[in-house]
Amino acid sequence: MKKLLLIFLICTLPLTVSATESRRGFIETYEAEPAAGEEAAPPVLEEMETEGTDEETAPFMDDDDLSFLDEEDDVVEVYDPFETFNRGIFWFNDKAYFYVMKPVAKGWRWLAPEPLQLGIRNFFSNLRAPIRFVNAALQGKFLDSGHELTRFGVNTTLGIGGLFDPAEVHFGIDKKIEDTGQTLAHYGVGPGPYLVLPFLGPSNFRDGAGLLGDFYFSLVPVVFDSSTSYWVAISADIINFLAIDKDTYEGIKRDSLDPYLFLRDAYSQYRLNLILH
Amino acid sequence: MLKQFLLTLMAGFMLAFTMISHAGSTPTDDVRTSVDAMLEILKNEQLDKEGKRAQMSTVINERFDFRAMSQRTLATNWKKTTDEEKKQFVALFSQLIESSYVGKIEAYTDEKVEYPGEKVKGRKAVVETLIITSSADVPVNYKVYQKGDQWLVYDVVIEGVSLISNYRSSYQEIMKKEGFDGLLAKMQAKIDELASTPS
Repeated sequence: MKKLLLIFLICTLPLTVSATESRRGFIETYEAEPAAGEEAAPPVLEEMETEGTDEETAPFMDDDDLSFLDEEDDVVEVYDPFETFNRGIFWFNDKAYFYVMKPVAKGWRWLAPEPLQLGIRNFFSNLRAPIRFVNAALQGKFLDSGHELTRFGVNTTLGIGGLFDPAEVHFGIDKKIEDTGQTLAHYGVGPGPYLVLPFLGPSNFRDGAGLLGDFYFSLVPVVFDSSTSYWVAISADIINFLAIDKDTYEGIKRDSLDPYLFLRDAYSQYRLNLILH
Repeated sequence: MLKQFLLTLMAGFMLAFTMISHAGSTPTDDVRTSVDAMLEILKNEQLDKEGKRAQMSTVINERFDFRAMSQRTLATNWKKTTDEEKKQFVALFSQLIESSYVGKIEAYTDEKVEYPGEKVKGRKAVVETLIITSSADVPVNYKVYQKGDQWLVYDVVIEGVSLISNYRSSYQEIMKKEGFDGLLAKMQAKIDELASTPS
């Protein structure tokens, strides 16, 4: 327990500093971190919001005043002081994805029957159950935490080492994504600057530090305890994930004017949604 | 006299009933009609890809309010643009939204869609849908508003990520650097690119 707290503190300390520093410049949302929200919402933005609503009676919008749609606008502004650097990593990831990871994943997709792919995904997900269990508990979500514990017990035994997910299929207990990044957010740590991690993609200072906590609670390094076997396992997990994934990144690249911006904003919204639930 | 009164009453009731049944379509009804129609088109083996896209386009145009979407995407910049620019933007933006949405829907051709619930708040509502696939359940929420007797989609939220918020921040960033004309040029280039590369 002491060790746990220590890790937690180590993760949090540098962040709280960076978070308070960065809050001046941006907001993630008004609601997500009420403590930070008040000072974080720049007056300019508020002004913009109300300004945008009053003059919508332009001739082109002849039929209806749509300003009533604006009130629940969730403004997500991402603080990205390292954009040049991040775009570099983004470029690298893009190449790694198309030239290395995706070809391998496609081969695996072709080779392995879907049940096997799903089994492998379930197996790794089950080894990460402690991350969800601990972080749900740390956020006071004891029901969710209990669900994760049950899921882990059921899926490890009846689900044959986690290859299957009878907890969801037969008992209707769904998995709920909880991680250390969300726990940090729960205790008021802001996201900090946006960060693109090599191979892993979109993140931020808080969630990046959260990965340390996740690593600590995960059973993957316990089961694969040599560093070689660990990296093989992690790579297999990612490749397998990409084989199951329906080419999400290709879709984003095809659709958006600037995939970097699209992913940056999508990530922030996605995390915000997880934090709020 | 009594007869006349009764007749009037009956007529009144009938009128009331027809009005109720007319206004009775819930947000979920409307979204479901469109989503079902699209899944039907995707499953239709007699249509080729182009035919499917054309029919989907009709369904989407009936349900999606591209002008509301454009307005919300441009936010404060909307009123700074001229009518001509607005028209141009809406025309380009609707093509991009359509293509992006169709691309996402196409990936889930054979899947089942569930409707766990809806939240109505005045003229606005959120229709929750869940796409059930063999590998995962994808929550897709439609934000709709009431216009006449219809509910029109003004945003699609996939796994907590709002399409419009996403476009808005990207587009604002591009406008900041390259201006409104630069944005329009980029949109046009993207549309040309989409048309020339069959996905």
